[in-house]
Amino acid sequence: MMIVNFIGSFALIVLGLYCMVAKHNLVKVIIGMGLVDYGANLLIVSVGFHAGGTAPIFTIAELTRASFFVDPVPQALTLTSIVIGACTTAMSLSLVMMLRKQYGTLDTREIRRLNG
Amino acid sequence: MNSFLQNFPILAIMTLFVGAFVTSLVGRRNAVARNVVVAISVTGALAMMLALIKPVLLDGQIVAYWLGGWTPVEGWAIGISLEVDALSLFFGLIVTVAVFVSGIYSFTYMNHDDSLVNYYTLFLMLSGSVLGLVLSGDLFNIFVMIEIMTFTAVALTAFRTSYEGALEGALKYLVVGSLGSTSVLLGIAMIYSQLHTLNLAQIAALIPGQGGNLVTIAAFAFLFMGFGTKAFLFPFHPLAADAHAVAPASISLMISGVLTKCGVYGIIRLVYVLYQNINTPFVSYLVTGFGAVSMFVCVTMAFNQHNFKRLLAFHSISQVGYVITVVGLGSALGLSAGLYHAMNHTIFKGLLFLTAGAVQHQTGSLDLDSLGGLSKKMPKTTLLFLIGAASISGLPPFNGFASKWLIYQAAFLKGVYDGNFFYIMVAVVALITSVLTLASFVKVSQSVFFGQLPEQYREVREVPLAMRLPMWVLAVLCVVTGLFPNFVQTYLLTPAVSAVANLTAYIDSAMGAGYAAAHGIYVSGLTEVPITGVWNPVSWLLLLFCVTCGVAIVALLASPNDNSKLHISSKDETAEERDDKYESFFSGEEALYSQVGGSDLFWGFKHSWRKYFSFMHDWHSGIVNDYTLYGVVAIALVLLVCVIVL
Amino acid sequence: MTALLWNLFYVLIFPGLFFCILMGILLSGLDRIWVARMQRRVGPPLLQGWYDFLKCCGKETIVPRHAKKAVYFAAPVVGFAALITIALFLPVVGGKPAFSGTADLVVILYLLTLVSVCMIVGAAASGSPFAGVGLSREMVAMISYELPFVLVILAISKVTLTADSGLPMTFSLQAIWDYQTVNGPLIAHWSLIPAAIALLFVIPCEVGMHPFDIAEAETEICEGTLSEYSGPPLAVFRLTHMVKMYIMTALFYVLFLGGISTGIVAVDVVIFILVCVLLTFITMSLPHAACARFKVEQVFQFYWTFVAGLALISLILVWLGL
Repeated sequence: MMIVNFIGSFALIVLGLYCMVAKHNLVKVIIGMGLVDYGANLLIVSVGFHAGGTAPIFTIAELTRASFFVDPVPQALTLTSIVIGACTTAMSLSLVMMLRKQYGTLDTREIRRLNG
Repeated sequence: MNSFLQNFPILAIMTLFVGAFVTSLVGRRNAVARNVVVAISVTGALAMMLALIKPVLLDGQIVAYWLGGWTPVEGWAIGISLEVDALSLFFGLIVTVAVFVSGIYSFTYMNHDDSLVNYYTLFLMLSGSVLGLVLSGDLFNIFVMIEIMTFTAVALTAFRTSYEGALEGALKYLVVGSLGSTSVLLGIAMIYSQLHTLNLAQIAALIPGQGGNLVTIAAFAFLFMGFGTKAFLFPFHPLAADAHAVAPASISLMISGVLTKCGVYGIIRLVYVLYQNINTPFVSYLVTGFGAVSMFVCVTMAFNQHNFKRLLAFHSISQVGYVITVVGLGSALGLSAGLYHAMNHTIFKGLLFLTAGAVQHQTGSLDLDSLGGLSKKMPKTTLLFLIGAASISGLPPFNGFASKWLIYQAAFLKGVYDGNFFYIMVAVVALITSVLTLASFVKVSQSVFFGQLPEQYREVREVPLAMRLPMWVLAVLCVVTGLFPNFVQTYLLTPAVSAVANLTAYIDSAMGAGYAAAHGIYVSGLTEVPITGVWNPVSWLLLLFCVTCGVAIVALLASPNDNSKLHISSKDETAEERDDKYESFFSGEEALYSQVGGSDLFWGFKHSWRKYFSFMHDWHSGIVNDYTLYGVVAIALVLLVCVIVL
Repeated sequence: MTALLWNLFYVLIFPGLFFCILMGILLSGLDRIWVARMQRRVGPPLLQGWYDFLKCCGKETIVPRHAKKAVYFAAPVVGFAALITIALFLPVVGGKPAFSGTADLVVILYLLTLVSVCMIVGAAASGSPFAGVGLSREMVAMISYELPFVLVILAISKVTLTADSGLPMTFSLQAIWDYQTVNGPLIAHWSLIPAAIALLFVIPCEVGMHPFDIAEAETEICEGTLSEYSGPPLAVFRLTHMVKMYIMTALFYVLFLGGISTGIVAVDVVIFILVCVLLTFITMSLPHAACARFKVEQVFQFYWTFVAGLALISLILVWLGL
């Protein structure tokens, strides 16, 4: 059942990488970065999934050996990772804005003053 | 260990992070308060790391700190931990010393810039994150710290937004660097899916039981490439070049001296601790191969450069290549050589970046083709630069030589004992890289500091003492760590290497005694190789001194006591008094301004390799898509090869 | 006290300062005479090098305006002193270096580099454009001979290491000497013959003798690295050049012809001196008389293809245990 999620995350990562490699518009490159990130997040959250488990919200009293719930750690990780991803995207978009002002273009093939 | 010292790792990290917070609160209006906060933070972190030397490095204890007191329950580590063994502390010391020097240097260096409060906030966050990374005992924490580190480093790279290429370098760093971060994240997800833990010690204990599980092997490949990206290994090196060249010099020091070390630290932890059981010949080939290629490609790339700091950036990767190369050998000698060189690299490359910063601060230029003759105007900076250059080129008796000497031995002995020609060739590449490094720094010293002074730099002055002081700290460290290799070996390297070898202690101190034994972990595969050469810098220096005295005495006795034979042009001669005999010889013509330097040097060498150089020039196209492509291909290849072979 | 005096004797007289200078002057004088004879000239007296040195010392020193004075004066002295220290680590007589436990073969490689670097830095500090060109060429020459040199060193170390059963002392000259005492000179080890030939080629380039003296080409770049030097500093550089002839030939002797000892020190010294003289003739005088100066890229290509190839063949042969 989780196999769909894994395929999905793989597809997202590959698509994102394709975007980053093949697209010459900087905004598209950054969308690609985002896609890769989402793929990774999907992978993590799927890793912690247990079929039939409940949400991992208990008080100490409710928690018994028999309680069956999805692994909470990957969800915490995913949240962290999403926040980081959002920051990265914001940061890169602000860089792109300023680059556009300085270079007058968004084409990666023309933003190559540092080379060689 | 007393419980007071137990808190020092978290306090050191928090000092920096809280310092960042306080800086942005108080520093907006009051520059003095801001500087005081920064100084206290960096000094505090350094002091706490120094206080840990006694218990951790000398007594061999391991500090395991569980945040919020969430210690492991029934053998499962859920809480977040900091675990400081000698290896972590070794890198922690490197980090805090570099942070301290960079912070002090910034006070004067950055005085031409505005919105400095943002600079210092980001700077302290960067420092805190790298310190957190090396002290962390938790894999996901390492990822978070890597992200904060990349994020702040990118912001600081772009700090001088008006500087040519700053934004471009930062964006490339961010985009391609995100590949590395994602790679680490995927690796973590895979490890978690198999082992259901994120604690380094527990992972180290559980992985051997996984055997040939494909998922953990894929995780190895992802983590290796992720940390490789952070160390800017080939083929990620163009990022480093772009980012270093445009960042402020104090940040270049951080990127090259500290951020790359995080990658090195990650790789050491990964290969020796987490995956200690797959320390097979293949992993050695993989790591050493990557190191050797980075080492060689980057040193040749430096020949093409026209920008002082961009050239230093390529050397930075080349030196990290040395470290990775010997780390991959899998012998105790190799590891200690690698750690030694890692430490030395932070010191001498930091010094070189700071001298580059000093040149930039005083002249406003970093262009190797237009600078020249600055030794007349900045004699002290020149001396500092020469010390740094001699260190990185591995000239005795500086520290670069001491560590490179160990590196050659480690590679050569590995080759001889394993009967493997590959490692012999690695030793050859390392030796050749060293001479090419020397050539590169001859180019810099001739182009920037010697030769003739261009007209527009007549009024250049020496940098203020506040900037020279951090440089002197590093220069003295260069000499001291070079002169007393045995001391460094005994008190820094041996504890770190034995901490790596003593896995049981590392696992047990986090997970409780007996945990490692229960999972069948006893010793690591680190093989002891005896050190074999002889090099005694102090004795050599004494001999050199004696001979110099001998020469001097003979010269004094032989030379006629006649000062009229020494002709030196007076400093303040006027235009009419200018005596032609002091002009440079110019084939009998009237002397003109003529500076041989920059790209004009070494054409004999470059001409012979013109195809290689022009290929490399085109290959480093500067297009972010290309760099991403190289990275993706490298990750995919390593993944494929790892899965097939292991 | 006696030990201290002995050490001073080693440093200043034999095999240190005095002996090095003596041998340097002797070898350079012989070289000049031989080259002259091969060109049907009479040639200078044997001690011409010494006369040149004295004359230079008595001349005025003019420090050019663009020069960085401290470096300009320090470079020749440091380079020369570093070169002399190498002599103290070579076990030329009786198989014992004057100072053991200080330096090994890799250190000597780097000390030789240090000597060249001092020349380069001195040239750079003199501020002349000709010196700029000269130092660039010196550096290219250094890159050229370093590769074969390194390969030769590794080949030798491989031979002596595998034979040694005790604690391996890979790059130690003492170990190499002891190996030769037991097993005969390494030149007799047939798989090392290509390496020996490669080292013979390395010697003239390392010394900067005629066909390879691209850095000091008088006719093209006016003495290159030395063009702004005059008086005593120049004299020291000239002396460094001569002493380097001795150091390099002695190094060859130790690496490939070592281990021969008759037990009588005087005889050993005479044999050693004769070998140095012979090597000077083969490696320096013959090419000097026979060849015109090479171009920079020719030197580079020659060393990285032909000479490095020879050394590599040796390394591979040694590797295969032949």
